[in-house]
Amino acid sequence: MSADTYPPQSYFAAGYGPRAWFLTTDHKRVAWLYLVALTAFFFIGGAMAVVMRLELATPQGDVLTADVYNRMFSIHGIIMVWFFLVPSIPATLGNFLLPLMLGAKDLAFPRLNLASWYVFAFGSLFTLFAVIAGGVDTGWTFYTPLSSLYSDSYVSAAAFGVFIVGFSTIMTGINFIVSVHKLRAPGLTWFRLPIFVWTMYATALVMVLATPVLAASLILIVLERVFGIGVFNPELGGDPLLFQHLFWFYSHPAVYIMILPGMGVVSEILPCFARRPLFGYRAVALSSMAIAVFGFLVWGHHMFVSGQSAYAGVVFSFLSFLVAIPSAIKVFNWTLTLRKGHITFDTPMLYALGFLGLFTFGGLAGLFVASLAVDVHLHDTYFVVAHFHYIMVGGMVTAYMGGLHFWWPKMTGRMYSELWGRIAAVTTFIGFNLTFFPQYVLGYLGMPRRYHAYPAEFAFWHVLSSTGAVVLAIGYVMPFFYLGWSLLRGSAAPANPWRASGLEWQTASPPPQHNFARTPTVTEGPYAYPEPEDER
Amino acid sequence: MSAAARTLATYLALLALLAATVGSAFVELGLGNAVLNVAIAAVKSVLVVVVFMRFLSGDALPRLAAAAMLLWLAILFGLTLAARLA
Amino acid sequence: MSERTQSEAFAAPRRELAADTFGMWIFLASEAMLFGALLLVFLAARIAYPQAFAAASGHLSLPLGTANTVVLITSSFTMALAHVFADAGRWRGATAGLAATGALGLVFLAVKGYEYRSEYLEGLAPVLGAPFRYEGPAPANAELFFNLYFTMTALHAAHLLGGIAVVGFVLARWRRTAAAGRLRRVTATGLYWHFVDVVWIFLFPVLYLIDR
Repeated sequence: MSADTYPPQSYFAAGYGPRAWFLTTDHKRVAWLYLVALTAFFFIGGAMAVVMRLELATPQGDVLTADVYNRMFSIHGIIMVWFFLVPSIPATLGNFLLPLMLGAKDLAFPRLNLASWYVFAFGSLFTLFAVIAGGVDTGWTFYTPLSSLYSDSYVSAAAFGVFIVGFSTIMTGINFIVSVHKLRAPGLTWFRLPIFVWTMYATALVMVLATPVLAASLILIVLERVFGIGVFNPELGGDPLLFQHLFWFYSHPAVYIMILPGMGVVSEILPCFARRPLFGYRAVALSSMAIAVFGFLVWGHHMFVSGQSAYAGVVFSFLSFLVAIPSAIKVFNWTLTLRKGHITFDTPMLYALGFLGLFTFGGLAGLFVASLAVDVHLHDTYFVVAHFHYIMVGGMVTAYMGGLHFWWPKMTGRMYSELWGRIAAVTTFIGFNLTFFPQYVLGYLGMPRRYHAYPAEFAFWHVLSSTGAVVLAIGYVMPFFYLGWSLLRGSAAPANPWRASGLEWQTASPPPQHNFARTPTVTEGPYAYPEPEDER
Repeated sequence: MSAAARTLATYLALLALLAATVGSAFVELGLGNAVLNVAIAAVKSVLVVVVFMRFLSGDALPRLAAAAMLLWLAILFGLTLAARLA
Repeated sequence: MSERTQSEAFAAPRRELAADTFGMWIFLASEAMLFGALLLVFLAARIAYPQAFAAASGHLSLPLGTANTVVLITSSFTMALAHVFADAGRWRGATAGLAATGALGLVFLAVKGYEYRSEYLEGLAPVLGAPFRYEGPAPANAELFFNLYFTMTALHAAHLLGGIAVVGFVLARWRRTAAAGRLRRVTATGLYWHFVDVVWIFLFPVLYLIDR
């Protein structure tokens, strides 16, 4: 990128050297720091998935030993959950867009924002060290007593890295909550906020209140391994099951950290490319908060077969169905937004429509595993693997890609190749379904997760899944190239290439250093697209 | 009362409550000891939070944060203990 | 960076002070979940082994624990006074309050260190390789009690150490901080300090006063 390619007022023009990036407090540049780090982790974690699918292409264990396979899926999970999915949309698009959408010059605590990136970098590199040193074989869930008493892999180092990264999550959460409360532009009332802001707020709430409990459970694991404190060791009267309570008190709400931002992105894209206001705006906004709160009441559904009491199982099963209500409210409202719309299938819209289908499919499968009796059959099988990959990858990663394409012109001031964009979006959708739909079948047939070898009768579905993984990988690698190309050779983007509503589109692409020439005053609600009745 | 005098009065009240909680430990009350200890700790915390941390003056947002904290602690303790003792 | 506010985003120091205070409260709510999770672990064990925990609690030093509680409450008092002085622009009183607060924090840590040392010499500490020595009922469960005691008090001490460092930092930069910045720093440091005090207000009876 040469200095003369950007107009002098753009935020890129503030400096091109390493100091201008690594010591910046500009939220837009911090977003880029995160984007680079997260892209690296996405491809590291993805490469491990490819190796695992390669192993599973044949029934015999021929590529990896069982032990290496254990380490492979553990690190895949740890990297994808904590070093990609949890920070994915909030730290990149959220950091970039939240102040723009609020009409603010920056986040409330710009230096804290930069600090969060350094904390993230330190913690994640620490965990990478654990991987290079020999890896972890406990699964991303660190279940005791395997993790505390028996595993001789690098559990402490990996857990410590995740613990550190938790601080960066909390810093981001605090910054977002305070910014939404304190930095809204004049006239920007709560019910004029875009849904993306609502979902960032709900996500931040979960980050701030759930992450410390994960921190506590990881501290206890490390202390157990180093000092033998016995909290999870029955010999001293400790209880391994207690770990699962603490872990899932965080990790189930963390699922909503990982999906709410995707819902926010899709709520911006669908109205824009259907040329319609978001249907049921208030219901969609409030259901985000409902998901954040209900998400804390259901963690016991991960423990149906862990030896918790049957009464607890029944109650947690019932509570789990509650989460389906606000999720369904969203899906129905998104669908009605499309009704009578003038729909165009630009790249972001293809990803958003993909999200809509995949999230619904994954969410409905969630009702299966939330049912106590059915889950006894499906627990720890590929059905569960398919279910959460439909939400996490089919939902969140698809929304992330959609958002990246939607706001790419704003972030970079460059247009990407629309043709390649559409090819990648369709490839991803096909590859994803080919990879993960067979896993529902496998799980239903009884194939357990976390095995590197399997009986020959499962081979057909595994081969389908592995083939899909190759297609999916191609779909994810393509944007890396054409988006990168657009940075160098893309045509200049206008301020509002999609004719979208929203404050971020009212400033230049790329935005000036302090976002707006003068602080905007808001006089209307979001999604100011024509109503269906207006056009009869 | 001036701010400094209010701070001093709170300090003395905290010391008196500390004496009460230590003293109560030597009276046999069964489960009552634990309940009394936590109750006195709660009163002391309210004093610190309201007077030293100026909880009730200023804008309402700190109260929102504290209310969320109490609700989420209640969820953590309530559901975990209920599931374990059921 | 403008002179009057720390963050680009704020136009007026008053609004920034309110945002700082709110941000600090959210952080404290987050911290409360951390300590809450550990207290929950302790509570679960205490419910399971009431006698063993009561007997083990008697091995902690009540005089030292009580004295340390007085020290910490006093440090909160001096911190609150520093805030009152800072409000009135009486900067010498504010720095004296901060200095006293930091010093009392160090006294607390010294006493705590002395307690740790005697417990270690008794054979109650989970140090690498050191055997656990304990005369009393259900020694395994008592060991769990002491390990939880060390975990929770050490985490509290680490927070206090962080608080002392921040107080030292604020004092070291005091001359170079404008009036609005001084008030903001005293307010935020004070909120954190009082929170650490509140944690101890709960830890003390929960650990030291089970059965006397």
